[in-house]
Amino acid sequence: MMKLLQIELYKIFRRPRTYISFGVVTAIAFIFQLAMKAGGREFFEFGMQDVTDTFNVQGSIINGYLVGYLILQSLLVQIPLLVALVAGDTLAGEANLGTLRLLLTRPISRPQLVLIKFLASSVYTILLILWLAVVALFLSLLLFGTGDMINLKSETFVLLLKDDVMWRYGCAFLFAVVAMTAIAALSLFLSAFADNSIGPIIATMAIVVVLTILSNLELPLFNAIRPYLFTSHMIGWKGFFDDPIPYAAIGKSAMVLVLYILGLVGGTIFYFNKKDISS
Amino acid sequence: MRRLVSVFVILLLPFLAPAMEAEQLYYALRTKVLSVKDYTADVKVTLDVNYMKIPPLEGKLYYKVPDKIRMVRKDGISILPKKNMSLSLGNLIPAGKVSVLDAGTATLQGKTLRVLKVIPEDDKSGIILSKIWIDEANLLALHTETTTQNDGTINMDLTFGKYIKQSLPDKVTITMDIKEYKLPKGITMDYSEVPTTAGPKKPQGDSKGNIIINYSNYVVNKGVDDKVFEEK
Repeated sequence: MMKLLQIELYKIFRRPRTYISFGVVTAIAFIFQLAMKAGGREFFEFGMQDVTDTFNVQGSIINGYLVGYLILQSLLVQIPLLVALVAGDTLAGEANLGTLRLLLTRPISRPQLVLIKFLASSVYTILLILWLAVVALFLSLLLFGTGDMINLKSETFVLLLKDDVMWRYGCAFLFAVVAMTAIAALSLFLSAFADNSIGPIIATMAIVVVLTILSNLELPLFNAIRPYLFTSHMIGWKGFFDDPIPYAAIGKSAMVLVLYILGLVGGTIFYFNKKDISS
Repeated sequence: MRRLVSVFVILLLPFLAPAMEAEQLYYALRTKVLSVKDYTADVKVTLDVNYMKIPPLEGKLYYKVPDKIRMVRKDGISILPKKNMSLSLGNLIPAGKVSVLDAGTATLQGKTLRVLKVIPEDDKSGIILSKIWIDEANLLALHTETTTQNDGTINMDLTFGKYIKQSLPDKVTITMDIKEYKLPKGITMDYSEVPTTAGPKKPQGDSKGNIIINYSNYVVNKGVDDKVFEEK
C-alpha cells in the first residue's frame, strides 16, 4: 500500500502542473504583501471607518497576523481550483493516457486504487496548505512583524492579543486541510466519470462557485439548503478567529465536511467498481 | 425708593451668595486639575461596546497638557476614545471663561456632593454644558456629565485612592454614545454558522458604550517627551 502511495505521489510531483499551484499561491501571497506594504493602512482604515469615528486605534495594525489572515481569506477561494487541478486528474488522467486498464491488471483491487488515489491527492492538499502557511503567514510575519490581530466581521470588531493568535492559525490550517480534502474527494468522484481531466477540474470549480454563491446569498429561499452545502462549512476556519470561538459550530462544520469526504470517496469506489474500463 | 431697593437686595443676597461660591469652587477645582501638567501611568482599558470583542488592554498611558494623550502597548494595538471626546478630566472641564450655576447637592458614592453646571462662553472646546458633581471637602470631581457639540453626552465616573492629592483617579468609567458598526457581508465573508456558545445576539444600531480605565503607578509632572505622542 505504501509503495503504491509512493508511486502515486511520484506521478503527481513529476508533473510540472503540480507546481503551478505552489507558484500561484506564492505569487498571490507576494502581490498581496507588496500591496499591504505600500498602502495597507489606508486600505484597512477604510474598513474601520465606523470604529475610527469614535475611537483612536493606534499601534501595529498592519502586522503579519492580519496580512496572513487577509491572504488566507482571498486565497481559500482559489485553492479549490488548485486542488482540483491535481485531484481531478488522478483517475481521468490515467484514462486519458490509456494507462488505467494497465494499472488495473496489477494485483490491486479497484477500491484500493481509488483509496490510493485519494490518499495521494490528500497528501498533495496537505502540502499545498503547508506551503500556504509558509508564504501567507510566516513570510508575512517576517515582513510585517507580529502584533495584536484585528478581525473585521460584518457586525463585530474582534481584537485578538498577539500571544493568542498562533494556535488559532494552527487550528485554522488543520480545518482548511479538511475543507480542501473535501474538494479533493469531489474532484476524485467527478474524475471517475470522465476520460480526460479537464472535465472534472471545470466541473469541480463550477460546483464550488455555484454552491459558494448559494451559501452566501442571504435569501430565505436558500436558508433550508444552506446548512447542507459543503461550501457553507468550508469557511469554518474563520471561526477560530472569533471570540468566543464557536466550537460547536466548527465541530458541526468539520463533521459535515468529513461526511462529504466519506460519501464522495464511497461514491467513487461504488461507481468505479462497476465501471467498464475501456481505456 | 432707596429703602425698597435695599430690602430687595437684602432679600436676594442669600441666593446670590452661593452663586459666587459655586464659581470659586469651580475655579479652585479647575486649578487643581490643571496643576497636573503631564503624567505617565500603567493602565488597563476595558471596552464594553456592543459590537466590540476585545480583551482588557494593558499598556502605558502618556498625558500632557492641554490634550495630548497616547496609550502605548509593545507590538500591540491600543484603542481609546477619540481625542476630541477625551478621557482626561482636564478636557471635560471647560477651559477659558465660563458661567457657573449652582445646581444644589446630590448624593453619590455615599457622599453629599455639590452639583455645578458650567457653560463655556466660547465654543472652541466643543462643550455645550458640563455638569460636575464635586466632593467639596477633598476638592474632587467624582462625576461629570458633559454635553458636546458633535459627540453626544459623555458621562465620567471617577474613583480616587492612592493619588487623591493630585486629583488623579484610580479608576475612570466613561459612558458615551457609540455609533453603529457595519460592513457588507460580501466583503467580510463571515462564517455564519450561529455559534451556540456565543450567547444572545446584542442589539445593533447606535448605543451606549462603557470604557473603564484602571490606573496605577502614576509618574506626575516629570516631563513627557512630545515624540511619544507622534503617530508611528
